[in-house]
Amino acid sequence: MRGKDVRLDKVMIRFGDATAVQPLDLTIEAGEFFSILGPSGCGKTTILRAISGFIEPTEGRVLIGGEDMVGKGPNQRPTALIFQNLALFPLMSVAENVAFGLEARGVSRADRLKRAQELLDLVALGGYGDKKPSDLSGGQRQRVAIARALAVEPSVLLLDEPLSALDLKLRQHMRTELRAIQRRVGITFIYITHDQGEALAMSDRVAVMSRGRLEQVATADQLYAEPATPFVATFVGEQNVLRGKLMRTIDGIATVETAVGRVEGRLRAEIGAGAEALVMVRPERIALGGNAGNSVPAKLVARHLEGPSINLDCEAAGQHFMVTMPNGPAVRDLPEDLVLSFGRDDALVFAEGALANG
Amino acid sequence: MASLARAYGKLLAALICAITVAWVLVLIVVPIGAMLEQSLWWRESGGDITLSIDRLYNEIAVIELDANTATDPAKRAAIESTLEQKRTEIATLEAQETNPPKMYGLANFTRMSSLHLYIFVRTIFYALLVTLLAFIVCYPIAYAVALASGPRKTVILTVALIVPYAINELLRVYAWLMILDYRGVINGLLAWAGFIDLDAREWIPFLENPSAVFLAMIYTYVLFMVFPMVNTLETLDRNQIEAARDLGASTWRIHRRVIIPHAKPGIAVGCIMTFMLSAGSYSVPVIMTRGQGGDWFSQLVYRQFYESNNWNMGSAYAVSLLVVCTAFILIMMRLFGVGLRDIAK
Repeated sequence: MRGKDVRLDKVMIRFGDATAVQPLDLTIEAGEFFSILGPSGCGKTTILRAISGFIEPTEGRVLIGGEDMVGKGPNQRPTALIFQNLALFPLMSVAENVAFGLEARGVSRADRLKRAQELLDLVALGGYGDKKPSDLSGGQRQRVAIARALAVEPSVLLLDEPLSALDLKLRQHMRTELRAIQRRVGITFIYITHDQGEALAMSDRVAVMSRGRLEQVATADQLYAEPATPFVATFVGEQNVLRGKLMRTIDGIATVETAVGRVEGRLRAEIGAGAEALVMVRPERIALGGNAGNSVPAKLVARHLEGPSINLDCEAAGQHFMVTMPNGPAVRDLPEDLVLSFGRDDALVFAEGALANG
Repeated sequence: MASLARAYGKLLAALICAITVAWVLVLIVVPIGAMLEQSLWWRESGGDITLSIDRLYNEIAVIELDANTATDPAKRAAIESTLEQKRTEIATLEAQETNPPKMYGLANFTRMSSLHLYIFVRTIFYALLVTLLAFIVCYPIAYAVALASGPRKTVILTVALIVPYAINELLRVYAWLMILDYRGVINGLLAWAGFIDLDAREWIPFLENPSAVFLAMIYTYVLFMVFPMVNTLETLDRNQIEAARDLGASTWRIHRRVIIPHAKPGIAVGCIMTFMLSAGSYSVPVIMTRGQGGDWFSQLVYRQFYESNNWNMGSAYAVSLLVVCTAFILIMMRLFGVGLRDIAK
């Protein structure tokens, strides 16, 4: 099996009056584990269906391995889709399920069952061929769905939130497993999810979508450390958001007048003095005491113990602050009055815009 | 009973049980039992008795002539006693003639004439054919209704299917009669287009063909085939269809391997209903053929009851039909691998 690259060329998708996907360009490299991350209704599933061929883009082209896919149905594309509810055929045995794609291609019964057995071995379900899907556990069904999709030797495997029905432990286990399978077969994986943990843990690159638009395409580390928009900043991980007015910018360091006083941070937008601005600081980048550039006196409202870490709920001039600290002796007996400090590099300044959690 | 009492209280549980028992008794056990009983006996009302009575009357007339001419008192007394004997014989025979003795046995079933047996077999065959044709017609309709995407489409299709069924069955059959009659809509159109001349009796005799009955029957029973199928098809996860397509399956293979296996219980129920209704249909063949086409078995049953006035024979015919229909149900269930449980769903 060889992976192929997928290119969306000015793809726009409209249903009636509603535009599900705004015109966008996106290139997914061959053999890459690529995730599309976004809240429900952001258009990510629509994009997946356009790649798999269930819907045609209203405008633009989908190219797979450089070949234009226009007019090709789902059964003619080198893609295989794993559905959110897996959509295994309940009346067929596990082996028949896996062999179905080969059956459709006219492979003889003996050959296709042999191939199904190999694939079931690949997903560690060698002895389950004669069982019905309903006899298997959630994780096993998941692996059957993967084997069934791999049986048709796709160049691109599309996964539509296939882990969302599993419980937390199994989900974490399946993440590692999916990644391992992708490495083994070497084809392109395009993974749709609203769960940032899944996207960040598995992917080579992640695209964040919101309201039919691509917000940012980057590696997981870049997304977390260098978000391009307020939406990405707040959707991926937690943020403390301060609203204010931009005073001035010197060498990329912006000074913003906020309710808690003047705050300095790196400017991430093309805005000039006087504009409405958002300052974002991650809870784990805030320290207690010290003088790392910005310091805000605040009152401790509540402590939430998470186990290895602790969340401090603080307030300063009506502004709410969340501080995450490693759990230890230093945070056992905290006074009510604290000084929160964070460096200029830890604060990002954006233009006023849409946030992820409203 | 115990669990019912726990759930609803003793009084309500007793009521529920009583209603169920009454239902089974009044609507199932008693009528079918009565019919079975009727079919198992007959009265020997053969011509022999009538013939012997006639003969006896003749003999009496002759003897009475003798008695009038006889002069010897001894001889006259002997003749009188013979007359008396003959008269009592007539009385017993006449009693037998008006109320012949019941005879129990299976003769009602074995006595079916070869013509009636032929009609019986042909009716079963026709009913099977109607079922098959109705399935072919209804499967695409059921599929379209069940998988219609917008609620509007579903509403339109449901209305289009249900509204015709708000009209009386007889009217619907008569409508087909008007369409297919000698001077009906189709022949009228053909004449108007100049293909045939109605005055020269060049019409196409649709009604003399069993297919006219088939057509009306399929139309009459479409709903019974469509709705069970719609019900099962609606429960099909559409992702399965898309998954099959995505894996490269052709439309035909998707239907054969994914959709039809899923719809099996609905197909079985639809086929059973359509078969039972068409095998036992009376009005459709009567109206559509008007005696021009062959009889259906239901017409024979009717005639046994109300024209031959032989309820025993009629019951035997009806029971035969019932047995064959029950066998059909069991075969269908076996063939489709569905149990009563699946059908009840």
